Amino acid sequence: MRTRGAILLANIITGLALGYTVTNIGFGDYTELNRMFTFQDLRMFFSFAGAVGIIVCAFALLRVRRTPGRIHAGVVPGAVLFGTGWAISGGCPAIPIIQVASGYLPALVTIVGVIVGIRMCRWANARYFHLDRGSCGL
Amino acid sequence: MSTYWPWWAGAVGLALVTINYTLTTDRSFGVSSAWDRVLHWRRERQLEQMDDEFTDDQALADALAAATAEHFGTAPGTPTMPPVSHGESQPLVPDVEPTAGENSSVTNTRPAPLVTQAALLVSIFLGGLIAATTSGRFRLRFDMGAGFRDLVTADPTAMIATLFVGGVLVGFGTRLAGGCSSGHGLSGCGRLRPVSIVATAVFFGTAVAVSFLLWKVI
Repeated sequence: MRTRGAILLANIITGLALGYTVTNIGFGDYTELNRMFTFQDLRMFFSFAGAVGIIVCAFALLRVRRTPGRIHAGVVPGAVLFGTGWAISGGCPAIPIIQVASGYLPALVTIVGVIVGIRMCRWANARYFHLDRGSCGL
Repeated sequence: MSTYWPWWAGAVGLALVTINYTLTTDRSFGVSSAWDRVLHWRRERQLEQMDDEFTDDQALADALAAATAEHFGTAPGTPTMPPVSHGESQPLVPDVEPTAGENSSVTNTRPAPLVTQAALLVSIFLGGLIAATTSGRFRLRFDMGAGFRDLVTADPTAMIATLFVGGVLVGFGTRLAGGCSSGHGLSGCGRLRPVSIVATAVFFGTAVAVSFLLWKVI
């Protein structure tokens, strides 16, 4: 059982390390991001894919437990919307934070958009979609 | 201005962050779910308080069971109650060792405490700030860089509108899909979850298609 303090410390260390790493890879730089998505420069793609490869091997060696997850109705449409938003704004949910930290002030608008979108998802799910687990914060 | 990290350094960095978080907290980390819970903090706090009450009830039941065992001489360590889950029914943990290749046990489905997820978001900002200042890349600016100006728009009003719409799509889409590039992409794909592999393939594929449109067509 992990104590609350240990989880807090782990989250702070993770946040600092993630912000530091992602900024130094260049995910906050829209030019670099577009060059990755158009395969002009595979450096950032290999960073991501290489990380997944290392994690798969490490989790298999350490016998890390797997989480259940079924492919619910929100996965594909949600991923299409996210992919579109990422390509045009340059932000996944962590990226606008590090863009602002790098001095890109307009990324504050992206953060406002992310906040509106996340709140809309819960509202729309309760009112229209009625998806059960795995979607919109459920 | 210094150059960005080589690919292998980025891969090792991202992998270490994910593996360390998983091992130290016994949970998967995802930035979009942290956002989601922090933004709905009132409801999430209520859920946490309900969860705490459950935990107390379980502690009471465990203590009673232990006292009963002591009195009647039942073997200690007998399981008393299944672990409390957060919002979903959870299969019981079998008392036998799992077979090779099976999962070692069920996952901790209780999310990390709300305050720790708020700390995660603040720490991402601080980590980014440290990286930007130490590498000499920090510069306050009112644009999103040359790439955005050339590929998307040079007009400030259109830029604000694009960033807002893009942000809404990111926020709505990640929560509808149940994760983002960290939750599905790193943690989920790392665990070889089919839902995460599908989500990552779709959001990456869509981003590739839209980026090509911006680069070659629009």
